[in-house]
Amino acid sequence: MASAYYEFYRGSSIGMALTDSLDELITSGAITPQLAMKVLQQFDKSLADTMVKQVKAKTTLKGHLKTYRLCDDVWTFIVQQASFKMEQNEVILTPRIKIIACKNGDAIEAGKK
Amino acid sequence: MSNKVVPSIYRAVIDDVIASIRPAFEEFGVADDVLHELQSKWESKVIASRVADFEPPQPAAPHHPYPTLPNANYGISYVPPSPAQSRVKNEPPNTGVDARYALATAQYALPPLPGPSFPGLSANTLPFPASLYRLPQTDGPAGSEDDDDDDDDDLEPAPMPRTAHPSLPQPAARGNPKAGAEDADADAEAINSDLDDSDTENEEENEEAQPESDIVFCTYERVARVKNKWKCVLKDGMIHTGGKDYLFQRCTGEFEW
Repeated sequence: MASAYYEFYRGSSIGMALTDSLDELITSGAITPQLAMKVLQQFDKSLADTMVKQVKAKTTLKGHLKTYRLCDDVWTFIVQQASFKMEQNEVILTPRIKIIACKNGDAIEAGKK
Repeated sequence: MSNKVVPSIYRAVIDDVIASIRPAFEEFGVADDVLHELQSKWESKVIASRVADFEPPQPAAPHHPYPTLPNANYGISYVPPSPAQSRVKNEPPNTGVDARYALATAQYALPPLPGPSFPGLSANTLPFPASLYRLPQTDGPAGSEDDDDDDDDDLEPAPMPRTAHPSLPQPAARGNPKAGAEDADADAEAINSDLDDSDTENEEENEEAQPESDIVFCTYERVARVKNKWKCVLKDGMIHTGGKDYLFQRCTGEFEW
């Protein structure tokens, strides 16, 4: 069911750190691109599972919606003057943030089980 | 707080990936130390990205914030790397670098640079140096054509490191200012056309660069709109803002368009 996991988390900080590391190992000839792909697929799965199991934080986001877009079940929002209100009243402000949201569908949920 | 939980989550992900992928490495006939190398590279990159306060591997490290490491004289104040990690830092810049990680690469590429012109390297906002890095490139070609040649020599070294990183986002209209300037020289209207070119170029770059600086990866459960009021329920998100990462299980968003 590895294909049931989203790949777009690879663009996150930890995902980019992994792809950079894999690139280095491919360049030095230590691993093949095929093995690197397997690692990335494992990352998709491990990240999604770990997030579901271990991340409990809830937050609210307010801001001015500058741009919205729905394409192939992927929402993209660009929010200006965004404020994330975390737990314990921690507030994070940013003048501009892009949100990429894939569908949280039953197929994905089934794949996580 | 969702930033505090980041190190443990990231460690759990790294450990899970490494443990789960071991059979595949055996299947491909790749030695176990390559897997360890991958793990140490990955961990050191995550730590160097400073997206959260990672505990240094050695408990003694916090008492020696300025260890005598070879790269300590760059004035970079990230968490002191372990010996295994400093080995990674001496390696040449890799390919496939995201703009956010251009900082890390820039650190390795510093020695050949003409001068210590990255005072903002230790700032919290990682993408900031990346944008600094980009500036000489966009200004260089435009200025080099219609300014006198003395300025050229000063500008010349700046674009060099960038060409050493073909994987970095290159300015799309890189050749255009040059052509535009040559035409403009013939028309004796170099200034106007150059300003126009660089303006649009910068806007395009900002459009491209800024989303990378502050970004959320998540899934959505519900997105609803009433007139210009938007409400959405987002799940399993990774927020990257101000050089820091935050995680959420659920985020309720309310926007006005």
